[in-house]
Amino acid sequence: MLSTDELQINIGPQHPSTHGVFRLLTRLEGETIIELTPVFGYLHRNHEQLGEANSYLQNMPFTDRLDYFNSMANNHAYALAVEKLAGIEVPERAEYIRVIMVELTRILNHAGAIGFLFNDMGAWQTQLAFSMREREKILDLFEMVSGARMMCNYFRFGGVVRDLPPEFLPALQDLLEAMPAFIDELERLLSENEILLARTQNIGILPKELAISYSVTGPMLRASGIPYDIRKAEPYSIYDRFDFDIPIGSVGDVYDRFLVRIEEMRQSRRILLQALEQLPDATGSHINPKARQNVRPPVGDAYTRIESPKGELGFYLVSDGSTKPYRYKIRAPSFINLTPLGDLCRGHKIADVVVILGSIDIVLGEVDR
Amino acid sequence: MSIQIQRGKAITVDRRTRKTPMGQGLLRGLGVIWKHWSASFQKNDSYKKIQGTFTIEYPEERRQLPEAYRNMPILLYDEQSGHEFCTSCFQCERICPPQVIHMTQAKDPATGKPVPAVESFEIEYDACMSCGLCAEVCPFEAIKMDHTFELSTHDHPSLTVDKTALNRPTTYYAQIAPRMWEEVKENAYKKLAANMKRRSDLIGIAPQMQEQLREQLARAPQAEPAPEAVASASTTADDKAARLAAIRAANAAKRANSENGQAAQGDATQSADDKAARLAAIRAANAAKRAAQQAQASEAPETAPSESASPADDKAARLAAIRAANAAKRAAQQAQASEAPETAASESTSPADEKAARLAAIRAANAAKRAAAAAEKGQEE
Ligand code: SF4
Ligand code: SF4
Repeated sequence: MLSTDELQINIGPQHPSTHGVFRLLTRLEGETIIELTPVFGYLHRNHEQLGEANSYLQNMPFTDRLDYFNSMANNHAYALAVEKLAGIEVPERAEYIRVIMVELTRILNHAGAIGFLFNDMGAWQTQLAFSMREREKILDLFEMVSGARMMCNYFRFGGVVRDLPPEFLPALQDLLEAMPAFIDELERLLSENEILLARTQNIGILPKELAISYSVTGPMLRASGIPYDIRKAEPYSIYDRFDFDIPIGSVGDVYDRFLVRIEEMRQSRRILLQALEQLPDATGSHINPKARQNVRPPVGDAYTRIESPKGELGFYLVSDGSTKPYRYKIRAPSFINLTPLGDLCRGHKIADVVVILGSIDIVLGEVDR
Repeated sequence: MSIQIQRGKAITVDRRTRKTPMGQGLLRGLGVIWKHWSASFQKNDSYKKIQGTFTIEYPEERRQLPEAYRNMPILLYDEQSGHEFCTSCFQCERICPPQVIHMTQAKDPATGKPVPAVESFEIEYDACMSCGLCAEVCPFEAIKMDHTFELSTHDHPSLTVDKTALNRPTTYYAQIAPRMWEEVKENAYKKLAANMKRRSDLIGIAPQMQEQLREQLARAPQAEPAPEAVASASTTADDKAARLAAIRAANAAKRANSENGQAAQGDATQSADDKAARLAAIRAANAAKRAAQQAQASEAPETAPSESASPADDKAARLAAIRAANAAKRAAQQAQASEAPETAASESTSPADEKAARLAAIRAANAAKRAAAAAEKGQEE
């Protein structure tokens, strides 16, 4: 046996793999990780402090920039928080529009996350291109309603900024029609490829207890076998009106995390179909006409959380009765899900780090804020 | 662990632990890629398809942007009256999250009181986050989101744009977002009409239009010294001048008309002639406006004492104005009609000139129309 020295290596901070700007400080024994410390903060933009200098409405476009894959979900969480604080009602149709947008967001996020998994393993761009195609279709729809593909800024207190244009619903129907074929193909590519199976099965196992003690949420927690989904556990908006299942994993490895995401896309499609069926026709009632956008909520605080595609996204707001929040705090799922990375990677090869990191599905815009 | 799940259940995902013969999965994956590759020679034109090329060759091919698309804010003005919709109410400046809008309110030079019009308006395009909140809060529909996205430049400071660069005619916005403009149009014009009453002189006129007006004022005395000089002297003289100008405009427009037909092959004289037509049209528009004002001003007190002279003159002015309007309209039509073949033939200068001529002609027509209406009103009283 040759005796080797420990080696310390920095991965990043310029884009370790495809997941943004942060640094992995690793100690290696040969190719095996002994210790790994995630170092973040390179993309810090002072979001929360800025939020306290802005009025409530001015913060809405900034929430788009947290997790820029899921601007609609961020908008939703923030709008819910302000609505709770100020006691604003949301019309029925607006609730359905919101659910449609957020579930579309979930599909595009998961499609992207799975595409990037293939990228991380060297299937460079092939599967990602397929995922991006579906994502672009959804972004087309977002552009149609909100005017922007990624920075949607679509939600307002008491509803959404404008009603669905007439061409939206037919396009959505077409999209949902094509979706099962896409998801099945994605799953086949994922679950039949021997290289991929070898690279993902039993890699980066997150046990239940560890997941809970790290407060991990979202698909990552469910892949560890805990059927916890805020849409079911604490239904917000109108999620108690839909039938859908919660996929859970049995092992908690990288492979399970992706299977859970694929199944979640199917469930989101189910929700979308139900939402389309139930969507009230009252065109124009996309926003509560009595809701003032320039809100001045009473003194108090509010915390709301939603099941964003990446996990529990919460907004905590404290109002001092003025037009600006006194405190504006975000519970970002990417940030908290990233913390167990050291435990997940210990004992694995350095090549697996990228795959494990990809399976957490982070967006640095949300991690660092 | 006991987590209650309503309307649904927890399902464990299938890990498919059954073994396929080694290598088969890989081959099947390649099969999928083969399928997509061979389909990639066709265009994916429907959301129902998951195969085919879904990209477009960008600079040559362009997507149809949805109406709601927003890139950078622009300001609107009414191209008939030249008035801007903005009243400098500061709503957009206040809401803008990165605080990139800066403006000052116009003041009446005589009284020093603020007027509902904007003196200077600047947006730092480089720091604008395209959130669209400014367009949303504007109560006067004065600021809207543009569809142009090719703004890259080497010259960073040029991205701080002022009112002249921000202004767009309403027709432009109606073209990029017809439905959205239709919804707010009526309201916008109603408010504009109310605000126009509180503006005087050139205040609130879009700089684009102002320049033309000033240019015209500077040039008129050289070209037409006689009527311009006499114009200030008396009403009748002014009326005469208006009539003269209108007739001249009509003639010029007619000339432009016939010239346009011949110039279809795209020779050099055409642009010059167009310019002449444009000039004449502008002159006609202004003269007609002046005539209208004069008529309005003079009619009230004067109807009784100068009844004998003015009605005849007024009539003549009105006639001339109507004639000018008609000629100008015809010129505009002609210009529109000849645009199509000409752009192909003489691409270099003519389209811009043609457009200008057309615009001027339209403006002249409008001014003349207004003059006619005013004259008529005066007559009735
Ligand atoms: S653009 Fe609209 S909101 Fe802004 S100052 Fe002018 S009128 Fe007011
Ligand atoms: S789009 Fe948003 S950032 Fe840009 S000028 Fe308007 S309010 Fe300001």
